[in-house]
Amino acid sequence: MLNIFKRLWQVNWAEQWQYRANLIMYLLYWLVSPIIYLSVWTSIASAKGSVNGFTAGDFVNYYMILLIADQFTSNIVIHNFAYKIQDGSLSGELVRPIHPMLTNTLVNNLAFKALILAGFTPVWLVLTLIFKPDFSGVTWQGVLLSIPAMLLGFIVGFLLSAAITSLAFWTTRVYSLHEFYFAVILLFSGQFVPLTLMPKIVQDIAQYLPFQLFMYYPIQLILGKLTTAQIIQGFVVGLVWLGLSILFFNFVWRRGVKQYSAVGA
Amino acid sequence: MHFLKLISTFLKVNIQMSLAYRADTVVNILLNIMWLGWELLGLSIIFNNTTTLGGWGIGELIALLGVFRLINTMMASIIWPNTEKFNQSIRDGSLDYTLLQPAPSMFLVTFSRITIWRMWDLILSIVLIVAGVRMAGDVATPLNILTFLLLTVSGAIVLYSLWIVLIAFTFWFTKFDNNVTILQALLDAGRYPVSVYPAWVQIIVTYLVPIAVATTVPLQALRGDLTFGRVLIFLAVSIVAAWVASLVWKAGIQRYSGASS
Repeated sequence: MLNIFKRLWQVNWAEQWQYRANLIMYLLYWLVSPIIYLSVWTSIASAKGSVNGFTAGDFVNYYMILLIADQFTSNIVIHNFAYKIQDGSLSGELVRPIHPMLTNTLVNNLAFKALILAGFTPVWLVLTLIFKPDFSGVTWQGVLLSIPAMLLGFIVGFLLSAAITSLAFWTTRVYSLHEFYFAVILLFSGQFVPLTLMPKIVQDIAQYLPFQLFMYYPIQLILGKLTTAQIIQGFVVGLVWLGLSILFFNFVWRRGVKQYSAVGA
Repeated sequence: MHFLKLISTFLKVNIQMSLAYRADTVVNILLNIMWLGWELLGLSIIFNNTTTLGGWGIGELIALLGVFRLINTMMASIIWPNTEKFNQSIRDGSLDYTLLQPAPSMFLVTFSRITIWRMWDLILSIVLIVAGVRMAGDVATPLNILTFLLLTVSGAIVLYSLWIVLIAFTFWFTKFDNNVTILQALLDAGRYPVSVYPAWVQIIVTYLVPIAVATTVPLQALRGDLTFGRVLIFLAVSIVAAWVASLVWKAGIQRYSGASS
């Protein structure tokens, strides 16, 4: 099994390396919206002193860490898998004795991440020079705890995206649905603004959803803003969602593959 | 006359094409409404915590959202579909047929695909602009409205020209098919008045990829913030931009040697 992953890594790394010129464009997409929100909220906070307890500096810290959390927890399943169902090229992978999603697609995501991380790190360092975040509140415990949290976020996010992408077995095109899913993430993950500034009802719901694992929860862990009770609750909710997303993905996948008719191939 | 006839033919063809995907169209319109709801929710969260953003009130930001959506509509209904078709035609050489047709190639390449359902976004944008201006209580004099309209068009022309230059680069660098991504990536910055951004971001979105010229600037005109001299400068810039773009396009066409065939 290890050999299989090693070989898949070589193939997918080589594939991603081909597209390294596109890297700058991906990075741009990644950077623009956090920088916009950072600017909007710091401009409000510095005009008023603070927003609900958040100073301009707090917002800078939040969005600078958000950039990192987003790097680790996000995935590109919709981009590197949906088209295979659409044009039928999945057929070739289905006859192999390994799971297409949990091996090839997963490794492809990781290779993409490794490549983009290489470009992202220097950009992030330059941004810290520009925005001057104050990381004095960051603790070792927080950073250590955030690693399993982000891992959990990545796995849950990957399985949910994989399940939604697999709905293409029935609908062929799945991009609209994915756009809707994307909006849900935007609302509940803390990408737009720290969840504590969201309307109360959004906060209450977000607590029990997996999406805060993608951004808000690891960010606040790193910044040391959570109480012990909140930390435990976050991990418990995350583990429950890990179980649920495994079940959900398996359910959709098994039925989907039976439904698959290899359109266009 | 000639161009109007061509445009109406393009519209007809594109309506027929979109009728083939009716369900898709309905879903897309629903998604569009969802994003509008999200944008308004975002603004309401912001203005729960403040009364002004970069010196502008909520009404003005709603109007700005309207202007932003106008530009976004141009992006989604014309720029994206035509870029896709253009990149494809460079790869497989079908651009040859476009060049043979008896109409300016720049016009054919940039207007032959129009995503029809996006047009309803125009109505939505205008509603947002009118409602926003009303809420802000600004008195829009006829002169302000006129300069607003002129600057919206000139802002759109500036972005259109930049787009032409970007896709024309494909004639020199064949592997440059990510050409419009930079426009799309920075477009989001147009949702908010340019005054909220740090100076270096302001420089990028004003001079390098002039999103602000098409969003913040027209709204400033509507509020009566712009002097007559500045309005003239913006109008002149758009004319120069269009002229430069057509030169780059002509030079690019001259380099084109056809693919495959």
